[in-house]
Amino acid sequence: MKLTFDERWNLIEKISKRTVTFGKYKHTLKDAIGELTVKPLTGIPVAIAVLYGFWSFFSSFAGTLFTDGFFVKLFDFHYLPWIQQHFPGAGGWLYYILVGDPAAGNCFEAFGVLTSGLFVAIGVVLPAIVAFYLLLTLLEDMGYMPRLAVLIDTVLHKIGLHGYAIVPSILSLGCNVPACAACRILETKKERFIMLTLLAVFIPCGAQLGIMREVIPETMGLVLLYLLIGYFIFGFVLNKVIPGESPEILIDVPPYQMPLLRNVGMKVWIRLKGFFRTAIPFVLLGCTVVNILYLSGAMDWIANVLSPVLSGWFGVPKETIGPLIAAFLRKDLAVAQLSAIEMSKYQMITSVVLISIYFPCVATFVMMLKEEGGKGLLGSMTTMVAVVTLYGGLLHLIWILLGVA
Amino acid sequence: MIKNKFGSIYFGILGMVTVAFGVADLLVTIGGESVPWGILEIPADMFRGGWGGFIILFAGVFYLLGVKNFSEIHQQGKVVMGSIMIWIVAGCDIFGMITESIPGGEEGGWLNTLEGFLGTYTPPYSPAIFLLPFSLVVIYYISLSSHK
Repeated sequence: MKLTFDERWNLIEKISKRTVTFGKYKHTLKDAIGELTVKPLTGIPVAIAVLYGFWSFFSSFAGTLFTDGFFVKLFDFHYLPWIQQHFPGAGGWLYYILVGDPAAGNCFEAFGVLTSGLFVAIGVVLPAIVAFYLLLTLLEDMGYMPRLAVLIDTVLHKIGLHGYAIVPSILSLGCNVPACAACRILETKKERFIMLTLLAVFIPCGAQLGIMREVIPETMGLVLLYLLIGYFIFGFVLNKVIPGESPEILIDVPPYQMPLLRNVGMKVWIRLKGFFRTAIPFVLLGCTVVNILYLSGAMDWIANVLSPVLSGWFGVPKETIGPLIAAFLRKDLAVAQLSAIEMSKYQMITSVVLISIYFPCVATFVMMLKEEGGKGLLGSMTTMVAVVTLYGGLLHLIWILLGVA
Repeated sequence: MIKNKFGSIYFGILGMVTVAFGVADLLVTIGGESVPWGILEIPADMFRGGWGGFIILFAGVFYLLGVKNFSEIHQQGKVVMGSIMIWIVAGCDIFGMITESIPGGEEGGWLNTLEGFLGTYTPPYSPAIFLLPFSLVVIYYISLSSHK
């Protein structure tokens, strides 16, 4: 049976009359709250409150309870003395690689694969990652994330992205690897290039945040602020320089709902499995490589060669080269390694910023290659070199002008 | 009608007190030294006093914006949002106390002693914790709106 145009519309009308109930929709309290979280005037203070809760929970759960409360004691007072005493061949190269400095009083300073490597991966990073993914999943399942995307859309358009770029940006605060994959939600090549470059350069991962909280608790806010400013400045520049389009998006905002415990548990577990697979092997490999470089004398040679750049341009001690090399494997490991180098508070801030904005860790590097291809990755790397030179040097200039460098 | 009138007056007063606490938080943070006042202590650190104070201030503003024409659902939404913001700050303060109270500290055992555990919960408390019980009244209005 073939229907004419009019007959088809008549049929549609008949079906809709039978199946759709028409009436005036009465707004509920949930709708009212949903609207408040999307409108800029009310939504921004709410977003600031949500971020406060996020950060406070992250610090209390990961820092106060697990790392400082239990893991520091377990690793520094029980495990480290035990392994230093019982591991055979003290003073030998294998001992140096696996256990590290035999005189070290804590796991941060020992820098062996089985001491610092395990402590960083399990004692510091794991609680931070659990806290981060738990909160992120709760916000996603509750329905807050799409609202945050709508709220921040106008701001992100200034840097060539749209509201949904908030998803890879926030995911990146947990781990850059899934964040690179999440960049697929951005439609154009230009958007993906900007997002991948910005997240690799300016967004510290959860592991790095956890270590920063331990090593530079007082100045961490300054470091994050500096990175945030860089995210927007360089995003703005990239948007002007990179050709291509940044289209508008249409988001379906779901109603607020109570997260289901089973779903939350499953999502957190899937994300944690990814962390176990990618992060822990790289932390242990990073310790090994850096220790081999130290033992072979290669580290001293590289430090001497790059000394004019490190000390002259960036104003940090030449010993920072060790952590910078380790940063290619794991950035959290590199920040932890900085704590063993003697330097001023301002040099420490510069070093942490350098580690954050310099080359992405190898896992992110591989993901970027997969997502962008060789040409895109080369473009991102060129941007990174420019950023690290300009932004790192600028920080040194600020310290000189303040009279603290 | 009477319930809404009461709600309007109650949250109006609570809004003014909340704004005052928020402003006090910010001023004390600018001053740089925390102010103890009996069992109340206004923190001076940038995180709890500055950032937290800013949220408390806006919670108060939300209350004040919501009290006019209180029976209207969008107005009640503002009051509920004000309470949620207080719950976030107070909840974080309480969670911080809980996480501090469990481990035994560097010198002690793995877990805290009963004395040390209970000692963490003794006053002084932050302004957000003081506002918390008063903000819970909004639950009554949430339940009223869900029965409508």
